[in-house]
Amino acid sequence: MRADGVGAAAPRGGGHDRVTGRQAYVADIHLPDELHAKLVTLDCARARIRSVDVGPALAVPGVRLAITAADLPQPVPRFGPQFEDRPVLAAGETKYHGEPVAAVAAETRDAAEAAARLVRVEYEELPAVFTIDGALDPAAPLVQDAALRPGDPLAGTNVLREHRVAWGDVDAAPADVVVEHVYTFPMVTQFAIEPHAFIAAPDEDGIVVWSTIQHPYWLQRVLARLLGLPLSRVRVVAPDPGGAFGGKQHAKYEPLVAFMALRAGRPVRLVLSLEETFQAVRRASARVRVRTGMHADGTFAFQDVAADYLIGAYADIADRVVSKGSYPACGPYRIPAARVVGRSILSHTPPSTAFRGFGNPQVNWAVESNIDEAARALGIDALELRLRNLARPGEAFIPFDTPADGRWEETVRAAARAIGWGDPVPPGRGRGLAIGIKSGPTTGLSYATVRLLADGSVVVHAGTSDMGQGARTIFAQIAAEELGAPLDWVTVVMGDTAVVPYDAQTSASRSSVLMGTAVLRACREIQGRLRAMAARIEGIDEASIVVERGTVRLPDRELPVLDVLRRGLGRLGGELIGNGEMRKEEEPGHPLGGSAAFWEFNCTAVEAEVDAETGDVTLVRHVTVSDVGRAINPLQVRAQDEGAAIMGLGHTLMEQYIFDDGGRIRNLGAIDYRIPTSMDLPLELHSEIVENADGPGPYGAKGMSEGALLCVAPAVAAAVRHASGAVIRDLPLSPERVWHALHSGERQP
Amino acid sequence: MNVNGMDEVNEEARGAQGAIPIRLAVNGRQRALAVLPHHTLLDVLRDDLGLTGAKECCLVGECGACTVLVDGRTVDACLVLAVEADGAEVLTVEGLAGHGRLSRLQEAFLEKGAAQCGFCIPGQLLSAQALLDANPHPTLPEVQEAMAGNLCRCAGYEQITEAILDVAAEGGR
Amino acid sequence: MHAFVYERPGTLADAVALLSRHGPDARLLAGGTDLIIRLRDGSLRPRAVIDVKRVAELEPGIGQDGRTLTIGATAVMTDIAADPRIRDHFAALAEAASVIGSVQIRNRATLAGNICNASPAADTAPALLVYDATVVAAGPSGARRIPIDAFFVRSGHTTLDPREVVTAIELPLPTSRAASVHLRRTRRRGHDLASVTLSCLVDEHGVTRLAYGSVGPRPVLAVDESGVLADARASDAARSAVLEGMLAAASPSPRSMRASPEYRLAMLRVLGMRAVATALTRLAEG
Ligand code: FES
Ligand code: FES
Repeated sequence: MRADGVGAAAPRGGGHDRVTGRQAYVADIHLPDELHAKLVTLDCARARIRSVDVGPALAVPGVRLAITAADLPQPVPRFGPQFEDRPVLAAGETKYHGEPVAAVAAETRDAAEAAARLVRVEYEELPAVFTIDGALDPAAPLVQDAALRPGDPLAGTNVLREHRVAWGDVDAAPADVVVEHVYTFPMVTQFAIEPHAFIAAPDEDGIVVWSTIQHPYWLQRVLARLLGLPLSRVRVVAPDPGGAFGGKQHAKYEPLVAFMALRAGRPVRLVLSLEETFQAVRRASARVRVRTGMHADGTFAFQDVAADYLIGAYADIADRVVSKGSYPACGPYRIPAARVVGRSILSHTPPSTAFRGFGNPQVNWAVESNIDEAARALGIDALELRLRNLARPGEAFIPFDTPADGRWEETVRAAARAIGWGDPVPPGRGRGLAIGIKSGPTTGLSYATVRLLADGSVVVHAGTSDMGQGARTIFAQIAAEELGAPLDWVTVVMGDTAVVPYDAQTSASRSSVLMGTAVLRACREIQGRLRAMAARIEGIDEASIVVERGTVRLPDRELPVLDVLRRGLGRLGGELIGNGEMRKEEEPGHPLGGSAAFWEFNCTAVEAEVDAETGDVTLVRHVTVSDVGRAINPLQVRAQDEGAAIMGLGHTLMEQYIFDDGGRIRNLGAIDYRIPTSMDLPLELHSEIVENADGPGPYGAKGMSEGALLCVAPAVAAAVRHASGAVIRDLPLSPERVWHALHSGERQP
Repeated sequence: MNVNGMDEVNEEARGAQGAIPIRLAVNGRQRALAVLPHHTLLDVLRDDLGLTGAKECCLVGECGACTVLVDGRTVDACLVLAVEADGAEVLTVEGLAGHGRLSRLQEAFLEKGAAQCGFCIPGQLLSAQALLDANPHPTLPEVQEAMAGNLCRCAGYEQITEAILDVAAEGGR
Repeated sequence: MHAFVYERPGTLADAVALLSRHGPDARLLAGGTDLIIRLRDGSLRPRAVIDVKRVAELEPGIGQDGRTLTIGATAVMTDIAADPRIRDHFAALAEAASVIGSVQIRNRATLAGNICNASPAADTAPALLVYDATVVAAGPSGARRIPIDAFFVRSGHTTLDPREVVTAIELPLPTSRAASVHLRRTRRRGHDLASVTLSCLVDEHGVTRLAYGSVGPRPVLAVDESGVLADARASDAARSAVLEGMLAAASPSPRSMRASPEYRLAMLRVLGMRAVATALTRLAEG
């Protein structure tokens, strides 16, 4: 194996710039003549806007523009990836705390900030709903205007959609033991260290927009429609985001900034504060009722899951999060009868959106915890019960979807082995284990262009965003491997719709599989040209030539690619260009519009110690094992797995938004919203991968990056219960909550 | 009826000061600047000196993305007024590599795969540098303690720690 | 951040004069780790910010004069936590200083600033209380010494006159053998604002001094002269009765989002018992 080819721990593409400070993130980019924008928001969640007076703001020296909904085309343009429900600026009514009603732009940031405070808004606070129960109350105010939902039978409620997946007959399935509980999952936020940032600049007859966006091409479409421009006049530049985790998938304030730039005739930049970012993106909280029916022999009779997700005031991609996240709620088990009802419930809170795990962690927390309850009720070991029901390779555990695409038992056994499952537990400690599964992309479209330059170096053009997952490195490794170039001779160009071909999105851990395949195909096209070239030069039949991994194999000898390339290109030089395309088409009639391209499968096991006096949980050992098919870059795989595991510890142990009565986030910002630091890690974090080259991606790779987060919470809760008897069905498992469970709550062995 | 805005006194009317001249030695280079009193060291590094390696995130001293060394000690540059730093020596991530050669810490970060999205990495590197300057052979808990002021949401904490311990171990040879 | 006038006095007299001139419209800047956050979020909008770090008389430093250790007003937490004299004689203060914020914060935050903010959660306050520290302040009418227990009023308020500057904090070196410790409760292991802080000092005569914060508007000092709390042979019931009495002044706010009053009070007791035990162990180990 080459030291930098596929399967090697090759150094990260873009790594050098990341350690020298040269990496230019959106906020680091400045345009000549740019204006600085600042949003104007109200101190409440829902309000009727009576009037907005920007006069005092415009009087501040250096202020060039103040814009309100009235300055936009009427009716105020709306956008959104699923429903076009979000106005560019609040029109008539704000629906969540932090929703902008106006924005100003000035020569300096200081002037913009001062002016934003001077915009005079008269408003009337309106009744609002911030909780699931509040939103479902028949007397609750409607979050979304029924007029925006014509013909929708649910339009008179705050339920945006109800998604049902079912097979077998749950109601008729006899069971020896039925266990039913309700679990809650808190509202948490992505907290990428890079806050969202946007710059828009008028450009001849069009516009250029820089954004921290994950899906530049999707944004291009939104902007073109809102601005009435052809796609070719909307250029989206998307430098590598400084972390995204789903929060940067879809348009937020790009449309506003674009309108401002066009109005001002100058570039306008808007860099959100962390607080504004918290108000712009979050994960849906959830309340999940699980009824598990078991036979005495430890096999499933049925699973019955009702998952209510509290989404925000605008749908963003949240309803898809609900449908796709709740869909595999029953897990990778053989279950004769299942029913999953997922509801997206609107509320007057910041819009929830994609977040690593995409709706799965919420139901996984509930269902895996309930399986532990069932195991306890049956007196069967929690690992044994899972293994007894785990889908075997090729088994269709969801009858109408991709069958099990891995030897999952290997993964589960590896985790059990690494935690010492079955070994005596040291006093005061407990162990827990859980399984996570997530559907990969259900549809997708990626194009890649690869150019083999005259000296043998390579340029890969791909529309994926590298937000830390390392897509640059993966594509470079594939091209290096296929075309025989040293890795540092491969340049990967991304993030500019004027330069790279179309890519639908960077999400669902898809890029190694979908874009990776497109890159591979583009390389294969170049290999075809090399074959033709070699045939011409050597005067032999093309069919007798094989090009593989950087070598041109003739019937009688082997030549390096570069040799054939030089001779073939001749004195004029030039290059060979290959294009690759990877589609995953929609499947009409499928509940999700398409079956899973692959399953992300993870098993997490932990050993924990609980301080009964304080409720402190110490994770003595945390094991995470993922089935990745094939690790194209094991170094990056490990970093993604461990990073996801630690992020999972965040919502498991400490993260949550706390609201006041008026729907304001009380712990807005980094002081009181706690995420794990270097001191909050398990004493030992151990990650392993299972590689059977059984994935659909290049060289048998599957997507990964989310798996290790999915089932952290149920594994930790099981360990806490084992160690202390504390029964906890609400996250996070803060010391206070554990203490309450031990001192006043339910305490069971 | 509620009203937003208009509760502010006009800044100019408050007799706010103009720019104040200061001197900084940034990455070994002497700089004479005029800074507004309410601009932080982070503002001045990023906006006036174009040194965008120090990042802006929480602006409350919690995340460490803005970490730089002032007279050899790490600070959150978002919580230092630029005028306060008058006369100080400042080291930013741009000053870590000497003559285009990465420092040993920078190399170790790359080798261990510690930089993922990279946004927190300049701050991490400076905290790590200050730690090793003060304590060339830290234990694992000492590293974790010293680095706790630098959040990494990609959560490459294991990799960052390994890189630091690696460099420390080499120093001992 | 709003604009303000920046003053950088070179002498104490100038600093005091500036404070008098600007009145309540001025704010002192030492470490800035609290002030700059509040300037940025607009909760403070002073006309003038007076940077005391270059006042000649306030050289950062920790000095010993006979039986008194003097911590200068611009000494930062990092130096306080590392000072061998403080670690030897005032372990609770060294420990409190070492858990405030991150390294970056401790490199800037000053002890004087920490107590002047009078945050009920300030970690150093309980430590200073158990050591009977004295705050030295300079004002228009000269210098004044304020016993630390007479310094705190309530959140954000001290008995300092708005025209006064804290110049130093004095700690009397112990006259008998004693041991101390600082404990706290947080929501995570990494740096965090404490929901309970507690310092404890036990001396060879069995006197126990407990001080605690974050459970009421100001930190509280309670002293057990009876010797019961520090007596390992006393019954658990007797000891917890004494502890109950000492912690009775706690009245945590129900509005805090960091922890419920019920949990804070329970943790105060747990920390109290643990702190006494640790202090006794340290005393025994010398
Ligand atoms: S930006 Fe300075 S600490 Fe977060
Ligand atoms: S590398 Fe992404 S936040 Fe640290």
